[in-house]
Amino acid sequence: MPLIRGGKGSTASDVSTPAPPALDSSDVESRWAAARALAGQVEAVPELAAALRRETVPRVREAILTSLIRTGGTASAEAIVPCLRSEDAGLRAAAIEALQALPSAIVPVMAQLFSDPESDVRLLATELARNMKASDATRLLCGLIEHEQHPNVCAAAIDVLAEVGTRESLPALKKCAARFAATPFLPFAISMAIARISGGEG
Amino acid sequence: MDDREGEASRAVRISPDEVERFCDFLYRRTGLSFSESKRYFIDRRLEERIAATGSSSFQAYFSLLRADADHEIENLINCFTVNETYFYREDHQLRCMTSNLLDSIVGQKPPGSTIRIWSIPCSTGEEPYSVALWLMENWPQVDNFNIEIVGSDIDTRALKAATEGIYGDRALMRLSREIVERYFKPVAEGRHELDEGLRDSIEFTRANVIDAKDMARYRDFDLIFCRNVLIYFDDASRRQAAENLYDCLRPGGYICLGHSESMSRISPLFSVCRFPDAIVYQRPKADHG
Repeated sequence: MPLIRGGKGSTASDVSTPAPPALDSSDVESRWAAARALAGQVEAVPELAAALRRETVPRVREAILTSLIRTGGTASAEAIVPCLRSEDAGLRAAAIEALQALPSAIVPVMAQLFSDPESDVRLLATELARNMKASDATRLLCGLIEHEQHPNVCAAAIDVLAEVGTRESLPALKKCAARFAATPFLPFAISMAIARISGGEG
Repeated sequence: MDDREGEASRAVRISPDEVERFCDFLYRRTGLSFSESKRYFIDRRLEERIAATGSSSFQAYFSLLRADADHEIENLINCFTVNETYFYREDHQLRCMTSNLLDSIVGQKPPGSTIRIWSIPCSTGEEPYSVALWLMENWPQVDNFNIEIVGSDIDTRALKAATEGIYGDRALMRLSREIVERYFKPVAEGRHELDEGLRDSIEFTRANVIDAKDMARYRDFDLIFCRNVLIYFDDASRRQAAENLYDCLRPGGYICLGHSESMSRISPLFSVCRFPDAIVYQRPKADHG
């Protein structure tokens, strides 16, 4: 029979590493291993944050983000937030995904993101509410659409509210529709969101 | 469904807008996607879960689901997927293995070398034994290489059952009569014991796919079957699992996920490979990036 059973220990090959992995190594495998090894270590967040700022290899960047997610907490979220302003679209998308995996930790930084002078940052930040508790997402997004001047940012917030918003968002949505009455796509998007949130009875 | 559940499900009305909202969430969270033509299927299962959780409305159930209270996401996925395991399940991937994947894998290996295949999670053994049977029956080069198959699972009771290799009729429903007669012997009414040589050729071990230390004991696999498990994990665990699996594969090795799962939605570490029979994911051969 060509099927062989691995001998004792055969499933584990020698995984010894020539040198201890380090985030500042010139070797990609070493940085990858170091990033993975620091998952869950709160004291390593500053080191991971610094590595994230300088890392250019996407695979290692992914490992750094995963370790920050595994560690959790607002410090990890704050380490990732600057990536939302990156020129690199891949890094911005990776940061959004990572921050969405930290729904509680990002609540304290949302006010800062929603008041960012860059509308692109405010727009991206609306996506972060998607995985939050419905009450947090509703409160934060309604706060945004009460005052937000950029229609695209409002539209992004409304899209998220349509999935996660509660009935408490209905007054803010109606006010937003009135405020942007001259921008037809927004009242239309809002009517769709209201129908979804209220189950078609709004 | 008991009477109480039936009453609850009748009491809750789900509007088309709410179904759309639910479908958006289900797709984003799990990758499961259903067309409008499956509306009845969705409604029935949603009603079942609303009733089973005692929710008073869609809104109440949706809040509970989003918070994953009492592992409701797992319960929901079970409701929407076939969580029964049997021999030759998703056999298009087994066809892909012998039609495409192994050619690519052995292209880099001299005859007589070892091909390593891993089934994780392997549950009660149907999947790793299916891989073995399929190879014996369908791969012309099977005698030219040593093939090492490992089955791993977090559940030690499942592993014990896998080692014993005794299955009911339903588990064998996709196998031809010839294969059943060749590789199984009846041990009781409707129970069949797998050939001892085949059972002994597969190593079963305990492993948790999201535990990096656990997974560090496994390296150098050419092909991994990791089907219908990542769908149950949250984002953080999925990413961790993807990175663990990456390290367990040889460069150029392949990973097969369940039909409703997509590695592209989890991690950019792997390349997508589209073959006639299946979409699989590959650890890049020369990966410095």
